[in-house]
Amino acid sequence: MVLNMGPHHPSMHGVLRLIVTLDGEDVVDCEPVIGYLHRGMEKIAENRTNIMFIPYVSRWDYAAGMFNEAITVNAPEQLADIEVPKRASYIRVIMLELNRIANHLLWLGPFLADVGAQTPFFYIFREREMIYDLWEAATGMRLINNNYFRIGGVAADLPYGWIDKCLDFCDYFLPKVDEYERLITNNPIFRRRIEGIGTVTRDEAINWGLSGPMLRGSGVKWDLRKVDHYECYDDFDWEVQWETAGDCMARYLVRIREMRESVKITRQACDMLPGGPYENLEAKRMADGPKSEWNDFDYQFMGKKIPPTFKIPAGEHYVRMETGKGELGVFIIGDDNIFPWRFKIRPPDFNNLQVLPHLLRGVKVADIMAILGSIDIIMGSVDR
Amino acid sequence: MSDEEKQSAEVSEAAGEIVEAGRVSKWLTEQGFDHEVLEPDHLGVEMIKVAPEFLIPFSTALYAYGFNYLQCQGAYDIGPGDGLVSFYHLIKLEDSGDRPEEVRLKVFLPRENPKLPSVYWIWKSADWQERESYDMYGIVYEGHPNLKRLLMPEDWVGWPLRKDYISPDFYELQDAY
Repeated sequence: MVLNMGPHHPSMHGVLRLIVTLDGEDVVDCEPVIGYLHRGMEKIAENRTNIMFIPYVSRWDYAAGMFNEAITVNAPEQLADIEVPKRASYIRVIMLELNRIANHLLWLGPFLADVGAQTPFFYIFREREMIYDLWEAATGMRLINNNYFRIGGVAADLPYGWIDKCLDFCDYFLPKVDEYERLITNNPIFRRRIEGIGTVTRDEAINWGLSGPMLRGSGVKWDLRKVDHYECYDDFDWEVQWETAGDCMARYLVRIREMRESVKITRQACDMLPGGPYENLEAKRMADGPKSEWNDFDYQFMGKKIPPTFKIPAGEHYVRMETGKGELGVFIIGDDNIFPWRFKIRPPDFNNLQVLPHLLRGVKVADIMAILGSIDIIMGSVDR
Repeated sequence: MSDEEKQSAEVSEAAGEIVEAGRVSKWLTEQGFDHEVLEPDHLGVEMIKVAPEFLIPFSTALYAYGFNYLQCQGAYDIGPGDGLVSFYHLIKLEDSGDRPEEVRLKVFLPRENPKLPSVYWIWKSADWQERESYDMYGIVYEGHPNLKRLLMPEDWVGWPLRKDYISPDFYELQDAY
């Protein structure tokens, strides 16, 4: 029997369509059909300056807007060899790690809903709200469209007292992760539902180009934050989380532990933030006038200083970063114009989703949802 | 120094400067894979030009050399009236990697009837990425198991990311209102 699932189906995580061939309860084959959310982001990028394009990019992966902004900014920034002040780099890391937590939370809820538990959905929204409140205070926007990253820094300084609130969130959040674990991890129904299904071996994971928790769940200790040493991740004490089983449970465990690591990084970044975590730099600058030491390069990170007519120098390269979902890359070609000549996006979940038919062959119909959920896809990013 | 390297040096001299062959390129030459070296990109990643008919032998050799991960496959348009390029960004993925070796293969193709073999059978991650390049640029990857439009509707006409592409009904629809 050929069964159509989606694109309008609550557990298709947006608008994914699967054409599944069934033999009784067993899946014989599956063909994913994507493109229902394709907006031509690469084409759009070709006639937008970086400042103009940043608001668009939150719509790739709308659970992780900050990562998209970060990579969009990093690509021309590194091509032009623009140095980022330490303080801006720290603020970026704090934002990215908060986003990683938000991303994993927004994966956890729907994943648990996919395997039949509705309750965690409400819990994760409770915690995610706190992150959005923090973002609202710093950027003015909550879920997406933070429009916060700029070439050479970020758009605005953190408001007074923000660091305190961020540390409060870290204190609040860690016990909540324990709470999730108590509720979920050893739940016999949950474990029987996801253990041993959707197994990807190490070789398969590498060959299929998987990245992020999909790769680390299959026993590869590979995290671009450690591999590429970008931003200031080297300053912090944290571990790459990985598992060897390669099934849905392994991916779940990796993500849960990564949330803890993210809290660790956020906390350290808040403590070590150069320029003084509790200072109101904006007020100090205004009080001291233009000659203030707080206007030096290390503290002056207002990305607004980049002109809207910033020309991307001629050249090309491929930049990448570790998002909550995996490796987000951009291949950019500049030709000394304000617009990039080519802006190829390499989304993590697009490449992770390719393996789905391979994983689904031979499983039961009911496992489709669990395996799909464990990949962590956002169709905005798959289709761009 | 083999003839090919001399040749490539001459070619790049004509372009302005001599490009020194990197590690991967030297290894390939040692193994008898003649090729042209392109200038490394901004981050210093080696770039190697491969003829379409030799893509598979080159890829298998590099796979054996340790490039087990096809990080990014894509294409771009050199310019209107000029050709297309299909590129392959390869990296050596390993546990606790620290800035591992990378290389980018580039295959230059004509705008009319661009054809090259698929690397799907070496790196499975080429599956959707090659389909996307086909969808956006009309590059035919021969031997791909399921080469059809991926993001655009199946009945779409034209190759949207080519520089000479004109969006159908773009201005007409605006005029209608």
